[in-house]
Amino acid sequence: MPVIEVEHLHKRYGDKIAVDDVSFTVEQGEIFGVLGPNGAGKTTTVECVQGLRRADGGTVRVLGLDPIRDRAEVRQRVGAQLQESQLPDKLRVREALDLYRSFYRQRADIDELLADLGLTDQRNTAFHKLSGGQKQRLSVALALVGRPEIAILDELTTGLDPQGRRDTWDLVERIRDRGVTVLLVTHFMEEAERLCDRLAIIDTGRVVAIDTPSGLLSRVGTEHRVHFRALDAVDDALLAALPGVTGVRRTGDEITVTGPEEVLQTLLATLAEQKVRYAGLRVEQPTLDDAFVSLTGRAARTTTSPSTDERPS
Amino acid sequence: MNALSKLIAVEAKLFLREPVSLFFVFALPLGLMLVFGLPQRGATEGGAGQHAELTFLPSLALALTIGMLALFTLPMVLGIYRERRVLRRLATTPVNPGLLLVAQVVVNLAMGVAGAVVTAIGVRFLLEQPAPANVPAFVLAFLLGVACLFAIGLLIAALAPSARAAQSIGPALFFPLLFLAGAWLPRDQMPAWLARIADYSPLGATVDTIAAAWAGDTPAWPQLLALAVTAVLGSVLATRFFRWE
Repeated sequence: MPVIEVEHLHKRYGDKIAVDDVSFTVEQGEIFGVLGPNGAGKTTTVECVQGLRRADGGTVRVLGLDPIRDRAEVRQRVGAQLQESQLPDKLRVREALDLYRSFYRQRADIDELLADLGLTDQRNTAFHKLSGGQKQRLSVALALVGRPEIAILDELTTGLDPQGRRDTWDLVERIRDRGVTVLLVTHFMEEAERLCDRLAIIDTGRVVAIDTPSGLLSRVGTEHRVHFRALDAVDDALLAALPGVTGVRRTGDEITVTGPEEVLQTLLATLAEQKVRYAGLRVEQPTLDDAFVSLTGRAARTTTSPSTDERPS
Repeated sequence: MNALSKLIAVEAKLFLREPVSLFFVFALPLGLMLVFGLPQRGATEGGAGQHAELTFLPSLALALTIGMLALFTLPMVLGIYRERRVLRRLATTPVNPGLLLVAQVVVNLAMGVAGAVVTAIGVRFLLEQPAPANVPAFVLAFLLGVACLFAIGLLIAALAPSARAAQSIGPALFFPLLFLAGAWLPRDQMPAWLARIADYSPLGATVDTIAAAWAGDTPAWPQLLALAVTAVLGSVLATRFFRWE
């Protein structure tokens, strides 16, 4: 049963089209990822799902409700964690949870939530004294304090160190295990690959693909990448003409040849034939990054150093 | 406890954790009173007009308390809440973020009243001056002054592009208003046209009406009206232009 249905969503800010045409459905109990580069329209899409913005076109249904018209009910049942939202400096962890808890009909047990999120020791710590990871966990706790049926998590791990990121991923899985459907916004491939049951890839305001991570991988087929440094002159055109080769690229003195697994054999044979010596040979198997590149036709700009801010205006 | 009372309780706690605001409200007005009031007390009566009135300084101290809360604290806090997306975050919950604004106004108002009481008691006992004589008029003048200055503070919060901007617009407006109230140059020494404007300026009218009520007189109706009109105008514009993010 779908809990979120988005059909032909369209949203513009003045002349700028933020979301052109986005459709997807999220099933109950899954972790659904919305993946795309900065500025692709991910945040605007989820803001329409939350009822924070009114769509210019298309329909959005959340738990069968209209997030604008039935906003009070939707907000009771959907918990949200906003990108870059903070709390007053001197507000303490427990006070924040206690305050937000009072807003909801269904109320989570605060001590249990603190323990679950590993914040028990920080219960009386002021917000500005928390570490980045602790702030992020508090933000998730606030999203869960009203016992929501759906949790929307936007750029959850941006700015966290690798350990903090892994801890947060465990946390998201525990949220799903509680029966909460998770809508996860990220521009971080590894995160999507690790967590999502299904994901929608969005680029320039449109859905490029919706699939499971392994489904997306199979779409890029058996594309492998062979990297090597040529120690003798070699003609790129000659390599590109080899059977099965789909691309030849030079980065500095490294050459990357892409194609199905068999390309490796053909390539090595050709190099031997042409008496081209080589070094630093390695073969890369396809990743979600590749799926992304092949689906959107461009590189995911921010897979290794996540930056922030894709908000409009 | 419902959401609004919870919000008010939390905002009050946050206010009390801010030493600077506490200093503004409870210490500074009284301190200024003592610094400027004690030497004046021994001086010969019948000196220069406005400043010679016994109730001028205490009224100025009260206006100072309200003014600092309204023009410094309120716009700064709301600016920070917007910048840090606290208001936006609240919009994702069942609670209307407008309630946070209400809570802020309530807390600042309560602190203003508390500060005024402390200042008035200080004036009464440290400077050995009489307590306000016309109490109903005193309360009315005080509340209208509060409404007027808070409306201006909310308008600053609505229009300032950032928390930093709000922090500079407040003082930039406050000191000229303080000048118009006659804090440095007594209004009877100002050019007639300027004194006329000053009489109806927010702090000028607040100081005059409070001073008159303190002395036992009836405050001038046109000045009370000026405060009320500014309050309504400021609130309407603030509501019209307020941005949540």
